[in-house]
Amino acid sequence: MNKTEKALREIQAMDELAAMDSPIHRLAPLAKLLVTVAYIFVTVSFSKYDMTGLLIMILYPVAGYQFSLIPVYTCFYKLRIVLPLVCAVGIFNPFFDRGIVMTLGTISVSGGVISMLTLLMKGVFCLMASFLLVATTSIEEICHALRQFHVPRILTSLLLLTWRYVSLLLEQVSIMTQSYHLRAPGQKGIHVSAWGSFLGQLILRSMDRAAALYESMELRGFHGDFYYAGQKKMTAASWMYMVVWIGLFILMRAYNLPQILGSLFV
Amino acid sequence: MDMICFEDVTFAYEKENMVLDHLSFSIKEGEQVGLIGANGAGKSTLMKAMLGLISYEGHIYVDGQEVKPQNYAAVRKTLGYVLQDSDNQMFMPTVFEDMIFGPVNYGMSREEAEKRVEETLARMGLLHLKNRHNYKLSGGEKRMAAIATILAMEPKGMLMDEPSTALDPRNRRRLIEVLNELPVTKLIATHDLDLVLETCDRVLLLDDGKIVADGAAGEILRDKELLERHNLELPFCLAGVRIK
Repeated sequence: MNKTEKALREIQAMDELAAMDSPIHRLAPLAKLLVTVAYIFVTVSFSKYDMTGLLIMILYPVAGYQFSLIPVYTCFYKLRIVLPLVCAVGIFNPFFDRGIVMTLGTISVSGGVISMLTLLMKGVFCLMASFLLVATTSIEEICHALRQFHVPRILTSLLLLTWRYVSLLLEQVSIMTQSYHLRAPGQKGIHVSAWGSFLGQLILRSMDRAAALYESMELRGFHGDFYYAGQKKMTAASWMYMVVWIGLFILMRAYNLPQILGSLFV
Repeated sequence: MDMICFEDVTFAYEKENMVLDHLSFSIKEGEQVGLIGANGAGKSTLMKAMLGLISYEGHIYVDGQEVKPQNYAAVRKTLGYVLQDSDNQMFMPTVFEDMIFGPVNYGMSREEAEKRVEETLARMGLLHLKNRHNYKLSGGEKRMAAIATILAMEPKGMLMDEPSTALDPRNRRRLIEVLNELPVTKLIATHDLDLVLETCDRVLLLDDGKIVADGAAGEILRDKELLERHNLELPFCLAGVRIK
């Protein structure tokens, strides 16, 4: 299996994760979407030095992965390309912000280090929450929830088709690469002289397939609405999930819970 | 009553190269028609025109309604189209989700659609594929599932573009049985002339965008000279193929 095929399989495996059965999978997509949006919004709103306050936000992804039966490892493995970028966002902060904001025993910690760690935590937490949403909800259900939320049809269709077309594009790359290597034994990668035609063919073939796929959807009555994905209604459990989590997020943001808990023992 | 009616239909990708050349014919409700012709004869284009997927000159009527933008939904509900490439037809994660896509989009309740999907799968002997992921299906399984997605919509007519491609002999036999059991109008574009002989009463022979023969399947498919003149051959079952 070549690299492209592996990437394709990984994308397709996301559909398998979303098709699993767990208490989280059974919830209404709208509830999960709103909780995720609220979580991201609250998480990024913490100030750059409020590391202790932010720490409690790990509660949501940890509980989410536990109840959805999806190993956290899967999340980190799938996001292995993006995570280093997230970690690199605040890498220069320690050089610019050298003011000491706290001391741990004899070690002084600068504001730059704290803000770097805070940024890192925010990025990782938000990625974990987003992955939890996509791993427990199919793309059609997410689009359906977005439509319920009155997101314009054009945007939801764009989201759905991008997701589907990424697979098509990868499939075409895989087929063409395989065909190239069968006729160019011993060569590593695609020779530079073939790049132009390879890319041109890839675009043309992908466009053709994308058009055929969209035609097929249109022929079966698709016009941008996701009726077929709307079987999971807002049940009492979904309402409770949404209200409890959003309430907790507000509480976590308004009060520094780790500090309050800590003060009980000190 | 005519299910499909073509009146002087013309289509060309480039002006000098006619793909459909002033075509006029009709197909009656319940008829089983084989559309045959060599590669590039215009079979797929003709089917696409019926569904409003290409802009043509002339008039096409499906179940009494003209094929024009305001009628597309009704026309596409009336005529189910099995694409040549199943990969383009199966875009949902699982077979079940793919099959439920059409009926629900056309206004059927989820419960009713689920029941219909189960019935269709059972009729085609494909119940074991119900929850399978599309990308894990073999070529033949995908082909049968693609046909099932259209059957689940219970259209009044079916357009099938090379339905027997990628099917092993056993699945091909099952397909022929299913096609013969279906009480709907069928237009089957294929090079598999044996399949046409077993499933169709009438044959349209297309060459260079024109209908060059229209008649009973038994007659046209036995006419060796006619078939060879249009780059086709007698069906294997009639050709007396010599075994090496």
